[in-house]
Amino acid sequence: MNDPDDTERDDAALAAEFALHLLDAAERAAFERRLTVEPELQALVREWDEGFVGLADSVAPVKPPRRLKSAINNRLHGAETSRTEAPLWLRWRLGIGGFALVALVGLAVLMGNFWTPEQPGPTYRAEVAAEDGSLRVLASLDASQETLQVKHVAGRAPDGRVLELWLIAKDATAPVSLGVIAEDGTTALTVPETLRDKFAEAVLAISDEPPGGSPTGAPTGTVLAVGPVTLL
Amino acid sequence: MATRADIENLIARTSLGDRAAFSDLYDATSAKLFGICLRVLNNRAEAEDALQDVYMRIWQKAGRYTAGTYSPMTWLITLARNLAIDRLRARKAPAKDIDEMYDLRDSAPNPEMALVAKSEMGRISGCLDELEKDRADAVRGAYLDGETYQDLAARYKVPVNTMRTWLRRSLIKLKDCLSR
Repeated sequence: MNDPDDTERDDAALAAEFALHLLDAAERAAFERRLTVEPELQALVREWDEGFVGLADSVAPVKPPRRLKSAINNRLHGAETSRTEAPLWLRWRLGIGGFALVALVGLAVLMGNFWTPEQPGPTYRAEVAAEDGSLRVLASLDASQETLQVKHVAGRAPDGRVLELWLIAKDATAPVSLGVIAEDGTTALTVPETLRDKFAEAVLAISDEPPGGSPTGAPTGTVLAVGPVTLL
Repeated sequence: MATRADIENLIARTSLGDRAAFSDLYDATSAKLFGICLRVLNNRAEAEDALQDVYMRIWQKAGRYTAGTYSPMTWLITLARNLAIDRLRARKAPAKDIDEMYDLRDSAPNPEMALVAKSEMGRISGCLDELEKDRADAVRGAYLDGETYQDLAARYKVPVNTMRTWLRRSLIKLKDCLSR
């Protein structure tokens, strides 16, 4: 009865049933135990997986909602920065975080030798730009740290929208509005006292918002541009 | 353009904890994998949860992907499908609603992904065509809709054991064809 050909065929069918998830719990568990010690069986399952995957060609891709990506990043890396559920802004933070850190480490190395804390408050600047360069502003905070000068270089908000600048402080739980910026020339934004020490290692971002700025105090529109704050 | 080598490279970098690569991998593959989750679960909220689990798993297991054994899209699609089916099985009462399923397809396939998917196109369709239509449909139902032997037996109005015998015989034929 135990013809090797039969056994081989049984295993091939069993591996297919495993790959298709047709085995019941007990059979599945038994098969998994065999899998750990039988490379031939692993190869069979792999062959089936490669064979069956062609069936997935008939499944149309569907773009997942954008918040899913930030939710995933939040679950993987962001737990320490936020306990809120997948906020929009976290995506900016995560996207830019690595770069900001590299920039800051680089600067710290450069500045380490001659920057001393006795000097007037540090000055910060940021280039806040869209990836494709379609929107670009330069922001700088002077030594008094009372005014943020925001120089508009390129780009516009969509029709009927305005550009709003946000500060995402290091370890922030939410972005804070710095104000609406003009689409030409330089806008001087008064920085509230509570925010003046929040620029180190922060990220600036620009979203499009309804005229007058976000009605909720949190970004509601699309993030158009981001940029890390660097120390001058 | 996400080629097979690109995806392999992104998986390899993800296994080293490269978040930028993981982000790119997500951008290149999430629409396909979300499509799979939706197809299996036929429920948007569950598919979203499943997709999160899928990418958590990809992040954790990327190191176990070995280029040269599984093709990268097979690995990703199989992982997504398996997790979606686990969810489906956990739910027990399947809610299949074809109309809803089509409503869910609200965005055009990303052309880059379509290209990757095409490169994975196997001989399975041709081989399924060699089976009787019912049997081929049963295999598709099991793979794409996560149907169980019980579901299939009910659909074809035969006892579960008969269904299993049928299908196993068909799978052997399929295997012979795929290995030709």
